[in-house]
Amino acid sequence: MNPSTSYFNRLITLLVVLLGIGSLLPAAAHPMPNSVVLLSVHAQRIEAAVQIPLTELQPAFGHAVGDSSAQLVQRLGPELRAYLTQHIKLQSPDGRYWAVTVGQLGVHETQNPLNGPYRELTAQVAMVPPAGADVRQFLLRYDAVLHQVVTHKILVAVHQDWATGQVADDAEPAQVGIIQLDVRNNVIPPLPVNLATGSAWTGFRALVQLGIRHIAEGTDHLLFLLVLLLPAPLLVARRRWSTFGGVRHGLRHILLIVTAFTLGHSLTLLLGTLGWVRLPSQPVEILIAVSILVSAAHAWRPLFPGREAWVAAGFGLVHGLAFAGTLANLHLEAGPMALSLLGFNLGIELMQLFVIALTLPWLLLLSRTPAYPWVRVGGAAVAALAAVGWLVERVSGRANELGQAAGQVAAYAPYGLGLLAALALLLTWQRQVRQQPGA
Amino acid sequence: MRHPSFVWGLGLLLPALLAWQRQQAPGLSNSTIVQVKPAPAPSCAAAQGLARVVCLAEAFKATLSPSQLAEAQRPYTKADAARWSNFPQQFSRPQRVGIALGALTAPQLAAAKALLASVLAPGVPNEGYDELEGNLVADNYLGTATNQTGTFGAGNYYLALLGTPSLSGRWELQYGGHHFAFANTYQGGKTAGVTPDFRGAEPMTPVTDHGHTYQPLEQERAAFAALLSSLSVAEQAKARLTTTFRDVLLGPGQDGRFPATRQGVRLSELSTVQQQLARQAIRRYVDDLDPATAAPLLARYTAELPATYLAFVGSGTMGKDNDYVRLDGPSLWLEYSGQPSRDFPGTVHPHSVWRDRTTDYGGQ
Repeated sequence: MNPSTSYFNRLITLLVVLLGIGSLLPAAAHPMPNSVVLLSVHAQRIEAAVQIPLTELQPAFGHAVGDSSAQLVQRLGPELRAYLTQHIKLQSPDGRYWAVTVGQLGVHETQNPLNGPYRELTAQVAMVPPAGADVRQFLLRYDAVLHQVVTHKILVAVHQDWATGQVADDAEPAQVGIIQLDVRNNVIPPLPVNLATGSAWTGFRALVQLGIRHIAEGTDHLLFLLVLLLPAPLLVARRRWSTFGGVRHGLRHILLIVTAFTLGHSLTLLLGTLGWVRLPSQPVEILIAVSILVSAAHAWRPLFPGREAWVAAGFGLVHGLAFAGTLANLHLEAGPMALSLLGFNLGIELMQLFVIALTLPWLLLLSRTPAYPWVRVGGAAVAALAAVGWLVERVSGRANELGQAAGQVAAYAPYGLGLLAALALLLTWQRQVRQQPGA
Repeated sequence: MRHPSFVWGLGLLLPALLAWQRQQAPGLSNSTIVQVKPAPAPSCAAAQGLARVVCLAEAFKATLSPSQLAEAQRPYTKADAARWSNFPQQFSRPQRVGIALGALTAPQLAAAKALLASVLAPGVPNEGYDELEGNLVADNYLGTATNQTGTFGAGNYYLALLGTPSLSGRWELQYGGHHFAFANTYQGGKTAGVTPDFRGAEPMTPVTDHGHTYQPLEQERAAFAALLSSLSVAEQAKARLTTTFRDVLLGPGQDGRFPATRQGVRLSELSTVQQQLARQAIRRYVDDLDPATAAPLLARYTAELPATYLAFVGSGTMGKDNDYVRLDGPSLWLEYSGQPSRDFPGTVHPHSVWRDRTTDYGGQ
């Protein structure tokens, strides 16, 4: 996926999330912005992303935060950490308290339609239950801001929960509850949290689905592979693509390329997820765009005939690093991570094989017809165009029409496939009629 | 039929045309709505008290088309009664019931305003009916200033009749929109409750329409400020809360959640002059109603004054961010909260709610 659209998607997701929570909770309708606590539930711990509007924090925190939010973390980091630690407590049913550590702090601008734009403090908070206590059952004693600003409200939702299969980045957070003043008794009641029990099987299945979705929506990965397959059934003659090399030759070639790509990306997916190899996403995304450009050029003129498998494996390493980013972002513990690696990769392979199974027969049929150079060069040209669009986008960090259009092409893939199939059948039938003039 | 496609086409076209017609239908602009004056039906001229209110409600209903009537007249349910809000009409919420003023023709609106005017104090600047009009003018100003006339402005205020207006059963006259909610509940020919009642203002500064200047909540602010400025340092200390309020506590959706323990200073500990200042603040709300409805209520709240508590936090001028004041009595609940304005940075806009511990929604 290309970086600019994925940032954009994340922004949209955040908006949807905020709106979604809001619309779920008419009682929370409030002209002052709420705090939001998004939980990522793991096997042994919970990571919370806490969002606190600065205008609401100000009267509770006792230090000026609104005027110079740019340097807020730098200026008041220790005070903010101490404040949050004091006001975020979790308690297991047996009364024991959890270990709460406030990690990374930040300030960012957000908005919702009711409040307009506003700035908020974001805090990553790690919560670890005492030994032997269930991570899925606790009292959330959270009263940051609310201890002072009694009209404040805190929306609590689960953002990620591997064991119940909630792993997709854009999934709607599952609402847990609202922390607000009990006006009648003038107390802040703790929020009892009882998360549905999940299972490793559910988590594994969710990761298979995520892998499938990742390929289905990751136009760039598929494009690289499909374009590399375009000339695979052909022979090379005088440094040009020549004629169909036979079904056996074609199949063998395709199988080799796909296996090499799989080996390549599985290796870096593993290494990347385990954190042994970590590249910033921008160069990885740029290299992916380059890989499409290279395979497009190869589909036009044979650049590395007979060595496609090596190229596929090499670029597979790059694509795997991009896959690893998705998985690494889940911040899973060892057991779930091993299962996730397996599930995610399985999903990727399944989707990849599915697409190849759908496309391959028509490519093989077409490659026997005289029209194939048009198909091959046409496909390569379209892919090259998309790759250039992405390349410019990923280098400059700014979206352009070409890249965006390429990103949306996936939605029309079924039509393209239909067209390909129709063309293949028509040309094959024509060819058969011509070859049997007597019939 | 020889041309099925013709029939098909017509079948598509007709509903589209009808839908378009509906979209075009009546629709007064925000600025026109505030110019329309109440026009009581001549047939109601002789009626008095609640009979007059029922007569004007029936006269208003008689002006409506069947589909408009279906919107405006609903069966009485507590759920609909509780569906008021101080928020602007935006997205899917708040889901106000009733008919929007912007969906009425001029004669229909004149009949609607006659009905509203019949339950509110007439001819007092910035109180009663004049306050209602001032709220519409202020919201028109806000809509124009923020370029959101579809969300803010007089066309987005709703009038609903919950239950059939009569001198026998239970029904409610419900009116509201951004920063305004009015709920008169009638039971067996008597007024059973006049709350929850919400007032707010944005902008807080004076707004003018066709030479008429409004500042709908300034008198309320001034009344609370006068009461708070009368407190001695020791009295202030007793009345002062330690927490921060950035809104009223018992806004929409917070029905029946009155605190079990009253906070602040008991008015019986204050002088009679100070108690009268508290009564003046209460009158800024009770006296919005027509005098006959207001009198018994004011008598009840006056009798309960000594047992009523005053609590506040902030500057006491009710003109600063997070200034808050509350009167909490045996039956009265009155809150006024100043909060930072989103659209006019640096200014404060108030939210204020009047509830009654026993007769909200007409009681039970």
